[in-house]
Amino acid sequence: MFFPLSTTTAKRQANSRFLQAGNRMIAGLLFLALPLFLSGCALFPAERLPLAPGRPDKAMAAGVPFFAQEELQCGPAALAMALNWSGVAVQPADLTPEVFTPGLKGSLQSALLGAARRHGRVGYPIAGSEPLLAEVAAGHPVIVLLNLGFSWYPKWHYGVVIGYDQEQGEVILHSGLTASEHLSYRVFLNTWQRSECWGLLVLPPDRLPATAEEEPWLAAVAGLERTGQWKGAAAGYGAALKRWPESFGAWMGIGNSRYQLHDLAASAEAFRRATLLQPKNGIPFNNLAQVLNEQGKRKEALASAQRAVELGGPLLANFRQTLEEIKAKPAHKNVRKHKKHPSRRTAN
Amino acid sequence: MLQKIIKPVSFLLVFSFLLLDLSVHAAKAQMIDTSTVLAAQRTETDRARVAAFLGREDVRKVMVQQGVDAAEAQKRVASLSDAELAKISKTMDQLPAGGDGIGAIVGAAVFIFVVLLITDLLGLTHVFSFVNHHR
Repeated sequence: MFFPLSTTTAKRQANSRFLQAGNRMIAGLLFLALPLFLSGCALFPAERLPLAPGRPDKAMAAGVPFFAQEELQCGPAALAMALNWSGVAVQPADLTPEVFTPGLKGSLQSALLGAARRHGRVGYPIAGSEPLLAEVAAGHPVIVLLNLGFSWYPKWHYGVVIGYDQEQGEVILHSGLTASEHLSYRVFLNTWQRSECWGLLVLPPDRLPATAEEEPWLAAVAGLERTGQWKGAAAGYGAALKRWPESFGAWMGIGNSRYQLHDLAASAEAFRRATLLQPKNGIPFNNLAQVLNEQGKRKEALASAQRAVELGGPLLANFRQTLEEIKAKPAHKNVRKHKKHPSRRTAN
Repeated sequence: MLQKIIKPVSFLLVFSFLLLDLSVHAAKAQMIDTSTVLAAQRTETDRARVAAFLGREDVRKVMVQQGVDAAEAQKRVASLSDAELAKISKTMDQLPAGGDGIGAIVGAAVFIFVVLLITDLLGLTHVFSFVNHHR
């Protein structure tokens, strides 16, 4: 699946002269091209890898197995490499039904992200060279989407970046049929920036990316929540709290996960912390009320639900519902009975 | 024939509607999930950002030049939906942060964005699809 990647030196020089002229032209059109400039990728790739203080000149993520891809199956192969590295034993062929779209003859980025979640791993997208090198230096392989062709004749391809070499100006990746392929940084960046430098980390939930930011990490972990992976979600929020102990979102998340794992006391504790962090926000009071009610602490539950309704906000209808339910059904045993009743009748 | 099946079918229908109602009931009484919590937080941040943007001195100047009532523009922001706010906030991300001292071209970009945003908010133009018109 490779399109001619390497060009001769003469061609390269001609290219760069052409690009310089283009540079001037685009400077005039800066105004129209504003989003392009600010999209996170350099418009004209440099020969050398960007340097950062404290980052080693050479790095290689250890323990990334290589799977040679079958035709059109670069998505499943790349994901299998990342998943196996993260501790999930899975073959590319097992992933094909989860990520491959036959009609498109390829795998979508969102499908890779979703499949990572289904295997209990956090998919964390990154963009740009700086985070890419930082993650590889931290020992994390990165799935990258490359366009090996041109923008008008695309040949999309997934590879896994496993290392870089500053001195040689090379990026090392498992790609296609080649393990540990050495690609010049210039060629890599040329093909990578056509996907707006899209990269994906596939991590165990308790391992934060080196370049983790609070909100994107929490959103990525909340994806696990949606697939019902509550243990993984709890671990992800726990990792967030180690880095950002005052994170409101992480306390809410860990409260929700513990509730689903039937650890009511720990859940209530987490929601209490959240109410202290954002005393004007009704959501933690609403959730705390539900937990307290199930613990049989009706008085406290009513007070907390009442507080949520007083604080109001866009979710006021939900808060009111919570308050009414607690008023109507004091102990949680009654609630269970009510809910079970109709299902028993279906069985008859 | 029809009379024979009409009874079981109607029972089935009534029953399935009953189930439907129950499931909706249960969903509403659930805890607020983390995605919703995060979305609500993001909206708050977006709202504050857009409001702060409209409160900026250079942006106010543009509004005065255009004869726009600043208080009215702020009110319109308050009535925007979450998705609309997110889009405005995202467009603002693509603008340079300072707005002054970066250069005339950049200043012009901010200027045009502000004018169009404000006139959109006031219902005079309809450039941004994300601005809702309440009239």
